Amino acid sequence: MRGYPARRRCVISQAIGESAQTIVAVHQLAKTFRVGFWARPVAALRQVTFEMRRGESLGYLGPNGSGKTTSIKCMLGLIAPSAGQVALFGRPPSDPLARARVGFLAESPYFYDYLTPNEVLDYVAKLYGIDGPTRRKRSRALLGQVGLDHAAHRPLRGFSKGMLQRVGIAQSLIADPELLVWDEPLSGLDPVGRNEVRELMGELRRQGKSLFFSSHVLSDIESLCDAVCILDQGVAVAQGKLTDLLRADALESVAHLGLPDDGGAALLALQAVPLSHWEPLADGQRVVLPTAQVAELCRVAVQAGATLRELNPRRDSLEQLFLRKAVTRRQDSVGSPA
Amino acid sequence: MSAPHTTASGVVLRTSGPLAALLRMSAVASNTVREAGRAKLFYGLLGAAILLLAFSIVLSDLALVDQKARLVQSFGLAVIPLVCVATATLMGGLLLHQELDRKTLYAILPKPIARSEFLIGKFVGMAALLGIELGVLVLCWWGVLHLRGGTLTGALVRAFGLAYVELLVVTAVALVFSALSRPVLAGVLTLGVVVVGRTNYVLADLLAATKGVFVEVPAMRSLGKLLVAVVPDLSTFAVADPVLQGWVVPWAYCVSAALYGAAWVAACVVAAALLFERRDFT
Repeated sequence: MRGYPARRRCVISQAIGESAQTIVAVHQLAKTFRVGFWARPVAALRQVTFEMRRGESLGYLGPNGSGKTTSIKCMLGLIAPSAGQVALFGRPPSDPLARARVGFLAESPYFYDYLTPNEVLDYVAKLYGIDGPTRRKRSRALLGQVGLDHAAHRPLRGFSKGMLQRVGIAQSLIADPELLVWDEPLSGLDPVGRNEVRELMGELRRQGKSLFFSSHVLSDIESLCDAVCILDQGVAVAQGKLTDLLRADALESVAHLGLPDDGGAALLALQAVPLSHWEPLADGQRVVLPTAQVAELCRVAVQAGATLRELNPRRDSLEQLFLRKAVTRRQDSVGSPA
Repeated sequence: MSAPHTTASGVVLRTSGPLAALLRMSAVASNTVREAGRAKLFYGLLGAAILLLAFSIVLSDLALVDQKARLVQSFGLAVIPLVCVATATLMGGLLLHQELDRKTLYAILPKPIARSEFLIGKFVGMAALLGIELGVLVLCWWGVLHLRGGTLTGALVRAFGLAYVELLVVTAVALVFSALSRPVLAGVLTLGVVVVGRTNYVLADLLAATKGVFVEVPAMRSLGKLLVAVVPDLSTFAVADPVLQGWVVPWAYCVSAALYGAAWVAACVVAAALLFERRDFT
């Protein structure tokens, strides 16, 4: 079994795939490629660790060249990791039984251009050991679902990128997999196509499928995922539930304070709290302050007779979170000794 | 046999057991036949061979009346295996490279198919295609032979049977190089094996002689011994000369030659599978 000596196979499931709810477990994954004449080492992935639970929709986010596709290839056994482990359903990815439960869509999928969509689906279904009548029935249904029923008998040679993407989606669904691994599923699609695929992804989630998909388009991830793993230069810079991550990174809060009739004294007292910004409102003050100072603001406000009418953490967008994490990591790596 | 896996929506997946493996390999094999059967190279070689066989009609007109059929026989026994070996060498070297170059491999290997199954499927597909090519050429040649008053004897059939075993060995060798290197290099290395393999007996004779470069120069002697040991002796399958001279090639010889070929095919497919198993598809 590629990359995993026999002795290690059972250890993998014990070490990282032990939970029935954990369907993907990536532990300290690293990949170094040798490039050029002198086989110069280039680290594509460094100690990437994340988990994915059943029914979850996990967005794998990162700029171009951050290592998303390399990690997906490690997850599916196309590349052997230099270090670390990957488990799909508690098994190493080199185990065909693990891959039988996965539907994979490659970035810019390529198929045999002399085949028709029907023939592609038939070929792929045979690899999953699906019987003839079921193959035909599912092919028809899936091609209808992705809007290719009109082109089911045309060779792929004349297909546009968007149509090929749809064939790719259909073939990834042919065996009704529990886990879908889609690499940049929305790339190459026109706005209508993007919307249709987004709707399909929503439908698959409602059916209980687990969805792992990579993208560098943050709005796609934000609208479709409940968990993210952010990758930058081969390093996982943030991971977890999207709501938790954005909340945890809510560094500022916004408060709406009602002032007593003698507002001047209260205002003077509030100035003792380090506020980032404040602005007068008709019925009080709107202040922006570091979340760490919220407790102090509450204490001072009570003492000064002010009323705390509203307090909200200022929620980052995924874009802000991503930029901050990536920039922080890059600054750290520049500052740290080689 | 392992139990099939049923998905949430009732789709039954049969991914374990020898029958499921056979279905996967046959799917890859039939796609390989379809893919290779669309290659211009294949039709170019097939067309060239058919033209050469047609040319043997003209050539046989130059022969003495009682030698016409014999000329067609010898022409066919020389041309048909040669063209088929060229197909095996050139297309065998491209077998895996095309899958990588067109990135079609990325759509197949993440499915529940072992890399060795994929490789065996490719080999079987190529073997089937070569069988079709050999069959078509032999049929054409038989037509020409019939025109010239010749008959298809059992000895000729056995000669072509052994030629097919040779094709399988050459394809398996090409598969090893295809799993290891780029297509041009794979083609050149396979051609090298074909040339050395066809003249293996000459090399063995030179090593057994009492003088000469392969006896007197230790480095050349070592190289010669190495080549004899690691290159399949393809001359085992070349029985055209004795058949044309009217000798009977015994069945026992055919069986032992076929077993020798099968052993080489098995060794090469295992070696190719081991190389392919360790390869990264970046």
